Amino acid sequence: MNECLLCAQPMRSSPSWRALLGIDENSKICLDCSKMFERADIVEEGASLNRITSVFTYNEAMREFLHQYKFLQDVALADVFSKELRSYLRKEGTIVPIPMHLEKKRERTFAHVDELLKSAGISYSHLLEKTGTEVMGEKTKEQRLSMAPLFRLKENIEKIDGIYILVDDIYTTGTTLRHAAALLKEAGATRVEAVTLIRA
Amino acid sequence: MEPFDPSIQDFLAGRLWLRAHTPFSPKMIDAHIEAGHIKIVPGVVASKGKVSRKRYFCNRCENDQPYRFTTFECVKCEGACTYCRNCLKMGRVSSCSELITWTGPAPNYPTAHTMAWEGMLTPLQQRASDELTKSTEAGRPHLVHAVCGAGKTEILFEPIHRLLLLGKRVCIAAPRVDVILELEPRLRAAFPDTMIEALYGGAETAYKPSQLVLATTHQLYRFRQAFDTIFVDEADAFPYTADETLRKAVQKAAKKNAPIHAVTATPSDALIALTKRNGAISTINRRYHGYPLPVPRYASLWRYEKQLQKGKLPQKLEAWTKERLQQKQPFLIFFHHIALMNTALPYFQQLDNRIQAVHAAHPDRKQFVQALRKEEVPGLLTTTILERGITIPNVQVAVIGAEQRIFNKGALIQIGGRVGRSSQFPTGDFVLFHHGITYAMDEAKREIHRLNKGGVRDE
Repeated sequence: MNECLLCAQPMRSSPSWRALLGIDENSKICLDCSKMFERADIVEEGASLNRITSVFTYNEAMREFLHQYKFLQDVALADVFSKELRSYLRKEGTIVPIPMHLEKKRERTFAHVDELLKSAGISYSHLLEKTGTEVMGEKTKEQRLSMAPLFRLKENIEKIDGIYILVDDIYTTGTTLRHAAALLKEAGATRVEAVTLIRA
Repeated sequence: MEPFDPSIQDFLAGRLWLRAHTPFSPKMIDAHIEAGHIKIVPGVVASKGKVSRKRYFCNRCENDQPYRFTTFECVKCEGACTYCRNCLKMGRVSSCSELITWTGPAPNYPTAHTMAWEGMLTPLQQRASDELTKSTEAGRPHLVHAVCGAGKTEILFEPIHRLLLLGKRVCIAAPRVDVILELEPRLRAAFPDTMIEALYGGAETAYKPSQLVLATTHQLYRFRQAFDTIFVDEADAFPYTADETLRKAVQKAAKKNAPIHAVTATPSDALIALTKRNGAISTINRRYHGYPLPVPRYASLWRYEKQLQKGKLPQKLEAWTKERLQQKQPFLIFFHHIALMNTALPYFQQLDNRIQAVHAAHPDRKQFVQALRKEEVPGLLTTTILERGITIPNVQVAVIGAEQRIFNKGALIQIGGRVGRSSQFPTGDFVLFHHGITYAMDEAKREIHRLNKGGVRDE
């Protein structure tokens, strides 16, 4: 049976040649639920981070989505936005997910950014490592701005080159992304971009 | 016998709880497991399926539908791990999570209880109450088929009191949280000395012993062989009838051979047939105040959907609402679809800006219903979520689009059952605005007429 991943209502899908041939993907959520999400399609350009693209706005539906995905640990929801993510990540560059601290990852039992990419069928490489277990959401703006480096390069990675695309679930103040971008540039990246599912 | 902590016994007896979510220290839990007072049950178990594919089973909600499980690479147990999506909202249960349950000595519940309700049952209520007690003693399921406003809750008081006096543990379960919220103050008033706990999504867990539990049927996922008798109120309401795991949850929560009773105004034919086979049925076709049930009145409202979408209230509907406002009568207007209701809301608010709309997922539903009762709000637009369980004196009811499929016979009877419940205002308007008359509308009307004539069910 096919039911919506969010509201668990049965979904009607009529068989079609396009679906059979894999041209059309079956949506994982119903039309009513998908209408609740609001596309942002925001692009910001800057010096250290050359470009940040965000797909959705942070509205009530998205808040609930994140709650169920991250807090209730509903890994299945990684599938919901795979189509959108894929369309944004169809470009040149090495994809680097923002990593989680191992302790946090064990607590959640999965890395939420990695799972988003896995569901979208996008290959990625982990170049970064979290230095501490801080959570951005719990900090004030001043605290965020004056923080020690959040990331270090993984062992046995020293010199890198070329274009890198960071991926994270949500972009709020940009502290996380800027820390990661600065580190990559320092190590030799010529251009660093970022794609986030949500712009808060 | 190894010693144990009575607070753990009180809480865990009859419960099936996520080990990671216990309020007690891990050390205490470990000691009780060691002593054999607590048993560990794996969260999700796999068995070999027919076509060499694994079948999964959730030990908490007993879900076994393959599409409601998800398998992923778990960082904690370092391998493929499967979790249940059916009861996810109560804290995720997966292959690597553990449930705990009490296997130590059963708690002794008090046998001294006061029944403080001093009202009088009508002869019909009294008979049903006696029959229900008899069935409980005989351990057989019983169906109380009583019209809306017959005073179903009061019928339960005597049988519940008797069980409590024997030190038995009792549960009243209902599919809808609104029903539990309405029941809680009444039962607390009726049994002032009894330890009562109300469980529903969003309720604080009180870590206290509870002999009488009021719970949504969802909450019974978390119980196992806990109750000596379960009363399922509004046993025909959505989602209980549609969701097999909820029915299994009620059975799992009952002790072996404990009777499971049903109480409703609109039992399905299947429920009647099932109860006839191995149980007993009591029927009450009179309201407690003796007045007949309000008979629905049909009023055509052609192309109401188009009119609302064009941005105006259909004339008849506007006139009806204005009259309620003028006469200061509280009203409920039922819609078949949330989107249409939200489209209509601003036009109603032009008549009176205090009018509000509620639906299942509305965060302020509780407050709005309370406000209607206190006359702070003149009326509410609602989905079928308020079709049952609520009592508002002198409420007038309209259904917009009574021809829609969601308004089946049972739903229409329940909706009409909101009208004329108090003896002060035993009548009221119950109007079905429609775009065509359906069989369901006629059946509901016929059934109400039949009940009003004091008729018995046609065999």
